[in-house]
Amino acid sequence: MIDLELVLDNLPLYLRGTWTTLWLTFASLAIGLLLAVPLGLARTSRNPLINGPVWAYTYFFRGTPLLVQLFMIYYGASQFELVRTSFLWPLLSQAWFCALLAFTLNTAAYTAEILRGAIQATPPGEIEAARALGMSRFMVLRRIVLPSAFRRALPAYGNEMIFMLHGSAVASTVTIVDLTGAARIVNSRYYSPYEAFLTAAVFYLILTFAIVGLVKLLERRWYAHLRPRRA
Amino acid sequence: MGAAATPALDIEDVHKSFGRLEVLKGISLTARQGDVIALLGASGSGKSTFLRCINLLELPDAGRIRVTGEEIRLVPGRRGGLVPADRRQVERLRTRLGMVFQQFNLWSHMTVLENVIEAPVHVLGLPRREAVERAEALLAKVGIRDKRDHYPAQLSGGQQQRAAIARALAMEPAVLLFDEPTSALDPELVGEVLKVMRDLALEGRTMLVVTHEIGFAREVASEVVFLHEGRIEERGPPREVLGGPRSARLRQFLAGHNQRSRAATGLDVPH
Repeated sequence: MIDLELVLDNLPLYLRGTWTTLWLTFASLAIGLLLAVPLGLARTSRNPLINGPVWAYTYFFRGTPLLVQLFMIYYGASQFELVRTSFLWPLLSQAWFCALLAFTLNTAAYTAEILRGAIQATPPGEIEAARALGMSRFMVLRRIVLPSAFRRALPAYGNEMIFMLHGSAVASTVTIVDLTGAARIVNSRYYSPYEAFLTAAVFYLILTFAIVGLVKLLERRWYAHLRPRRA
Repeated sequence: MGAAATPALDIEDVHKSFGRLEVLKGISLTARQGDVIALLGASGSGKSTFLRCINLLELPDAGRIRVTGEEIRLVPGRRGGLVPADRRQVERLRTRLGMVFQQFNLWSHMTVLENVIEAPVHVLGLPRREAVERAEALLAKVGIRDKRDHYPAQLSGGQQQRAAIARALAMEPAVLLFDEPTSALDPELVGEVLKVMRDLALEGRTMLVVTHEIGFAREVASEVVFLHEGRIEERGPPREVLGGPRSARLRQFLAGHNQRSRAATGLDVPH
């Protein structure tokens, strides 16, 4: 049977871990999304000087495991004298910053590709209509292309949010006590992996359903145009 | 042509090629205020391309375009053809050219009302309240006022096209360009759109209409222009051009059209 007392005793630790997981995940998602908009747009450019570097970036971050990316930043960066003496070292020597950086770059790459697809799927006629009404390129982008692309991207982006939440578990490998980190501490203290990780799993489930609910809410708001209207 | 008033639209010798295919071989056309010009022609005759060259959705290779007297400044581009000298000028002149598309092209994520007020508010800088008032009057005029909060996907094709006409009208353009506005519609929905267009013509709007509706051209147009292989083959008042076609090509076109209309609807085209 499950040792409930053990779980309850360590609840504060799990809650602190949950908080760490939450802010790490949502901070990287938020910064990543901000980066992804210009990156996604750059990926739709026909100019290879704009498109090429972004393609290489997304190719690298989508082509390698998040864990490897985190290790490269956390362990790899300190190998270089240049990094250790730079003004960035106070940040790069911190595990939380390395995790935030790796997660942000990773989710920005995925989100940029999601947005690229959504932007390219904009019906050409809708863009033409906007231009014919005298909109500038920038206004067409801001008023027509992006709002419609965000709607198309939402289901895929909902998945990306969930992947990022689950992916953030790798933060526990670089001394960060996130939800998984809390479970690892409990496990090593009591040698009861079942209780330790099942509790973490339940917390992850709850967080995942919160994200699913959030996406549903956004869909209700944004997808009114796709719903048949009640007479 | 009298030298009196400035024509709403004056187009001189427009040429356009796609690769090695020369689609427009020098087309000139003048629309005075209140003219309703129907552009007829078989598919591939260049009539849609010509219409799209007027507001530079297609860039012509040569030619001059004047909108209410102001010439669109075009300069030779790096890859041949012409490009606008000043994007801002093109954007400004486009607000005077309302365009209605075959596929409606309403913005699918916006309601009908939002579609209609979008450009007046964001391009012309009209206060929102004023734009909404204007939009409601226009929606009432095209007969879909009760659909203002619907999304395009919730409307029939005919209603979508009428919303698109309202969207074009909301800019109070000097000229309306219609690119086969009824070609994508189910036959039973064509009439409601043509009726709106007829009302606009009666109001004295200046209109250029690319269409396959010979009946509409006959009844409503002040001038009919028949295009064939990128050239104007015949032009004149509808009675003359459609009543007594001089060229074999127009006769052929009209005969083919009558047959198709009968086959499609089981009816004769309206007188």
